[in-house]
Amino acid sequence: MTQPAPDRALVVEIEQTLPMPLRGGFRCDAGELLALVGPSGAGKTSMLRVLAGLMRPARALVQVAGEIWCDSAAGVFLSPQRRHVGLVFQNYALMPHLDAVHNVALALLHLPRPERLRRARQWLDHVQLSPQEQSRGPAGLSGGQQQRVAVARALAREPRLLLLDEPFSAVDQMSRRGLYRLLADLRRELAIPIVLVTHDLQEARLLADRLVVMDAGQVLQQGSPHAIHRAPRNARVADLVGIQNRFRGRWVGPAAEPGHGLLRWLSDDDDTDLDTLPLLTVRDKGKLPPGQPVSWVIPGDGIRLLDHPPAGQGGAGELAVQVSDTRFLGEITLVTLALPSLPGVALRLTLAGPQPRALEIGAQLGVRLDLGLVHVMPLRH
Amino acid sequence: MRMDWQALTLSLQLAAVTLIVLLPGGLWLARWLAHTSFAGKAWIEALVVLPLVLPPTVLGYYLLVSLGGASPIGRWAAEHLDLRLTFNFHSLVLASVIFNIPFIVQPVQRAFEAIPRTLAEAAAVSGLSAWQTFWRVELPLAWPGVLGAMVLTFVHTLGEFGVVLMVGGSIPGETKTIAIAIYDRVQAFDLQSADRMALLLLLLSLGAVAASFFASARMAVRR
Repeated sequence: MTQPAPDRALVVEIEQTLPMPLRGGFRCDAGELLALVGPSGAGKTSMLRVLAGLMRPARALVQVAGEIWCDSAAGVFLSPQRRHVGLVFQNYALMPHLDAVHNVALALLHLPRPERLRRARQWLDHVQLSPQEQSRGPAGLSGGQQQRVAVARALAREPRLLLLDEPFSAVDQMSRRGLYRLLADLRRELAIPIVLVTHDLQEARLLADRLVVMDAGQVLQQGSPHAIHRAPRNARVADLVGIQNRFRGRWVGPAAEPGHGLLRWLSDDDDTDLDTLPLLTVRDKGKLPPGQPVSWVIPGDGIRLLDHPPAGQGGAGELAVQVSDTRFLGEITLVTLALPSLPGVALRLTLAGPQPRALEIGAQLGVRLDLGLVHVMPLRH
Repeated sequence: MRMDWQALTLSLQLAAVTLIVLLPGGLWLARWLAHTSFAGKAWIEALVVLPLVLPPTVLGYYLLVSLGGASPIGRWAAEHLDLRLTFNFHSLVLASVIFNIPFIVQPVQRAFEAIPRTLAEAAAVSGLSAWQTFWRVELPLAWPGVLGAMVLTFVHTLGEFGVVLMVGGSIPGETKTIAIAIYDRVQAFDLQSADRMALLLLLLSLGAVAASFFASARMAVRR
């Protein structure tokens, strides 16, 4: 990846309530790949349409490479034609009456005809479409090939911003691999901001430098996939990014150790705070009042499975567990652990590689939680 | 037995001129109706279809009343443009254009509606102006529908009778079209002439419509 060039970055700030709510802002540096993630109807595609100039929001600022594309305060709104933007549509939106070359040439109308066709073929070569495939219409191409034509057409615009709408939704596994490689290459070569919309979190984590989590038209959080998984802003983000181990608790107050606080782990359906429930010593930024109901998460790599139940309880993060379910799925094993001290609460673990231990259902084991990785969020009502 | 070539030529002229006059506005109206939605759209669409459901004589009657020498429009045209709006070729063209609006607008509107909106958006993002998008994307994709509508309008004008008779009368070389000539021959018990002219009109119409279907089918296969 190239060094981020802030002057060629994308900066967005949107605020609209009608016709649909769309609110939030983010930034994507040149050479960076940003993934807009969220459930369907979260406003991801609308966000992309705003960036492309296909939708004019009530209040917005869109700036790309130092150029103002939209500034509602100043009454500036550039039409899609005047933005140098490449957009790969979800269904590719290729012209059915034109072959691949002429589809790409459509983005090169400013050039004289022979030059236009030559350049169109170059772009199609670049996305590895054979000369025979280049002279076929969309109907004669596979989904993956159509997608590459759409990418070539977007690139032919020599965009300063590349947008991809659900690029993985309709292609098979093989094309998907090819697309990963293509995206990686493009990121290196183009050094422009790339924004893709996806509802596939695995893919987003795999490819993106930055995630923007959206829900109900709102940007909830943005940051590196790692940072968001470690410290989701709230319970909704934790759910949206697919954090498995999210629990409830009550903030007790500062711990003896400076910079740390005490967290009472509560069961999901019972608010009773009992002394018998585990008390965890976790990092504290001093923002939470004692007694505050909280939601907290721990990433999978913060949970270690132990062969035997621990002697003590809670404080050091060691807890007795019982295997309640195991599923072997080829390379990985999904394990569900019940906590005898917390009825109804289950820890979920994904173990990679061949299984060294016999994880029989009912086996009494222990876990050690890396309490430094526990992230606590206040529960809103 | 004789063939009224003058009437046939007049009909062909009328059909051609009607098509030329109607096409640009018809395309525009059809595209606009396909792409916009607003509260009163159903009324405009109903108005477009009206000539199709109204008896030609009713339409002709209203045109005659509103454009005749005694009407305000007719008087105004006579005074300022030195133009008579009834009983001449111009009036036939005007009546034909109005009469054929649904034949152009309806099928072309359906053709434009069938084009996915994302294609126009993709064109805009690719840098095409609205005009370039129309010529390079929308019109080629709607072309089978447009061609069909053109043929339908042409053939329909060839066989026009009621409106033409009301507005134009039956002036040889000026407003006497082939359909009126056939009617004339039947009235005069000259069935042989009527036969020949009717058969010619039938074959001409059949040929044109069949040719347009062939062309549409070929375009569909190529896609």
